[in-house]
Amino acid sequence: MPPALQNPLTLWLLLTAALAGLAYAFVRQELRWRAIVYGSVLIACGVAVWPPYEREGEPGKIHLGLDLRGGIHLVLQVVVDDALNATTDDAVTTARDQAGRKGIQIGPVARVSPTAFTVEGVEPARVKDMRDLLRDFFRTGWEVKEAGEGKFTVEMTDLYQRQLRTQTVQEAIRTLERRVNVLGVAEPVIAAQGARGDQILIQLPGVTDVEQAKRIIKTTAQLSLKLVETSAASQETLLTGTGGKVPDNQEVLSGPGSTPGEPVYYLLRKEALITGRDLKSARVGVDENNRPQINFSLNATATDKFSRETARNIKRQLAIVLDGTVYSAPVIESKLGSDNRITGRFSTQEADELSKILKAGALPASLKYLQELTVGASLGRDSIRDGVRASVAAMAFITIFMLVYYRLSGLNAIVALTANLLIVLAAMAHFGATLTLPGIAGIILTVGVGVDTNVLVFERIREELRHGKTVRAAVANGFDRVWITILDTHATALIAAAFLFQFGTGPIKGFAVTLVIGLIANVFASYFVSKFLFEWVLGGRHYEKLSI
Amino acid sequence: MEIIKNPQIDFLGKAKYFVALSALLIAGGIFWIATGHLHYGVEFSGGTQLIAQFKDTPDVDKIRDAVAKVSPGAVIQTYGDAKTNKVLVRIAQQSSESDLDATARAVRATLASDYAQNPVLESSSEIVGPVVGAELRQKAVLLTVLGLLFQLIYIAWRFKGGIWGTGATLAAFHDVLVCLAFLAFFKFEITLNVIAALLTLVGYSVNDTIVIFDRVRENMLHRRKEPMAKLLNDSLNQTLTRTLISNGTTFLAVLGLFLFGGEVLRGFGFAMVVGIVVGTYSTLFIAVPMVDWWYSRGGSSGGSSGKVVRAA
Repeated sequence: MPPALQNPLTLWLLLTAALAGLAYAFVRQELRWRAIVYGSVLIACGVAVWPPYEREGEPGKIHLGLDLRGGIHLVLQVVVDDALNATTDDAVTTARDQAGRKGIQIGPVARVSPTAFTVEGVEPARVKDMRDLLRDFFRTGWEVKEAGEGKFTVEMTDLYQRQLRTQTVQEAIRTLERRVNVLGVAEPVIAAQGARGDQILIQLPGVTDVEQAKRIIKTTAQLSLKLVETSAASQETLLTGTGGKVPDNQEVLSGPGSTPGEPVYYLLRKEALITGRDLKSARVGVDENNRPQINFSLNATATDKFSRETARNIKRQLAIVLDGTVYSAPVIESKLGSDNRITGRFSTQEADELSKILKAGALPASLKYLQELTVGASLGRDSIRDGVRASVAAMAFITIFMLVYYRLSGLNAIVALTANLLIVLAAMAHFGATLTLPGIAGIILTVGVGVDTNVLVFERIREELRHGKTVRAAVANGFDRVWITILDTHATALIAAAFLFQFGTGPIKGFAVTLVIGLIANVFASYFVSKFLFEWVLGGRHYEKLSI
Repeated sequence: MEIIKNPQIDFLGKAKYFVALSALLIAGGIFWIATGHLHYGVEFSGGTQLIAQFKDTPDVDKIRDAVAKVSPGAVIQTYGDAKTNKVLVRIAQQSSESDLDATARAVRATLASDYAQNPVLESSSEIVGPVVGAELRQKAVLLTVLGLLFQLIYIAWRFKGGIWGTGATLAAFHDVLVCLAFLAFFKFEITLNVIAALLTLVGYSVNDTIVIFDRVRENMLHRRKEPMAKLLNDSLNQTLTRTLISNGTTFLAVLGLFLFGGEVLRGFGFAMVVGIVVGTYSTLFIAVPMVDWWYSRGGSSGGSSGKVVRAA
């Protein structure tokens, strides 16, 4: 195949020309025109599909599905309530802080649902001030209601909720995309799906180290740096200073200590100084003792806050928290800037994975795993072999039968079938549809339907011949009479195939894709190409008998 | 070469026996399914399915002992061609949504430690949480019903009479039920692929019926005086060769799928093989007799009069 023909523009031009020619052939019925047009359609298809599979390092034009080349298919659900909770929690803090700043005495402020919070016990003299304050700060996206006796309820509007939901799913998709990019997978699919749009589909074809890929995708790593109040060897000793209770704005987390198997417990400030979102970059390096460490740098706004807070808290411990575990808790020796490092007890591989996770960032909400499908590469190859074997068997059965039963006209049907298959493959290559094992089944079924079209026509021609028509008239009548039948049968089959599409992703879609393309290609190949072949062979000569 | 020369078979006269046969088959099938004999694949029932390829011929008993330690009650069987050393492990138990592949990991680990003499070279797994399975079941039923409904509307429009659409659709529905009965009886699992086969079958069955209806429509134009029953029976005979050859070749094609398509397509191939036979049968003995029954009890003739007949 000359490289010029591989150019997508050339292909487009060829296809457009072929389609225009096709339209022209319907207007002008001469054989010569149809020969040129049908021929160029098939050549364009040949170009589009070449080379069909990977060879000499050049990728094949037919994309193989997960089931044929191996890989991972995951369906996740984004727990959007997490993001709503976080937003409402922020609002609670804002309301409390602003009231304090204005000197308004208020009682408890609490989140009552993922989308609402209440302010209670506002001092009677300042109710109006509080109302103005809330209305001012929660003007957009929120609705402030007064429940009397100094009590307010602030609730998210439906519009804002919807915005947050879509935004959360989109953020999750972007984060997952970044994580997947780290893996360097070709042609990954990451898309929202499901009735409420809160499910995410991930397809990673051709991934070999399935376990590593899943680990990187699944780890909901959220890096945060938090100030340490105290640390101790057990939870009881940790809480003696606070009367056995964890204060509201603090939390208890543990992490590996200096001796393995003896964790250290930390009492931490809940509010993080820095989170994964503030990271500009992260990469693996080595420390003075040649142990792996992670170097990370912060973006400008985070650097300001980080410098300010570290300057204020010199000699205190700063816990590096990842996924609920304190990796290390170094003492802040001086005011820190934008470039920093994490040291801890991890292997080079762990450090490498950790830095990849940090780079990919944290998810705005947690994920639930609904479905997981992994296919080993050699098991996929087995499926290809099975699919090819089944197709060859089906084609062989049909070829032998058609040649025996319809003789030379059977050859016409075989040519039409081959053209049909070529068009199906070309359309799949052109639209980037993936070929799955059920897709191969769809192609075989297409072959069945294609044969049906030929059989309908051939039987009609035989019938006309029995009624004493000449060969030419019998062929013309046969094709004419069958046209309506083919139209109706294909339309109903297309209706059924359209519903298969609604299954969305996965192997069924692959089946529906080939079936739909196959049905359309069939009308062209088994009707128009076949008709042309008959007329071309019959030519201007007179035949007494037809080999049918 | 011709299969039957000028056939003159009285299809309609014998239809009542076949309708009785179909009723029996469907009643039996419904009973069989209602008593819990229909098996759902992992994508519908939820749970974990693992296909492991071993280095040497696997010893199913040893694998069962090893797996029983982490998941008692797991189903273990050889998978596909014996030469490929593959074993299927099925665990019905639901995994938690936060750690979906915990069961699969545990099984892989136990195989690596307790059956170390024959290592797993490669494995595929399918793990489905409870939400997806339930959603998918509803979707499958809904889509099948909608698919049938839209085909009914199309045919009723094209043939200008609800009875034609109803006849073709009921015949297709009949095929799905009979096919399900066969699947349940021969212990095939209902997987996504099988659902695809059933939906295709709906299209194929209707397709087959339309070819004959179309012939009736054509005959109605030329032979307006003749009784409907004779037109229907003649149309069946005129298209009989086509029915046998077309469905015969498609049958051969899907038989190839069933025999050589491997384990993944086995259920799909079976459903299609049964479906093509049943689809042909239902056209001859369900769809056309239904139209005959409608007209014989005084239903107005649709066809050329252009009058829309309400479906029974």
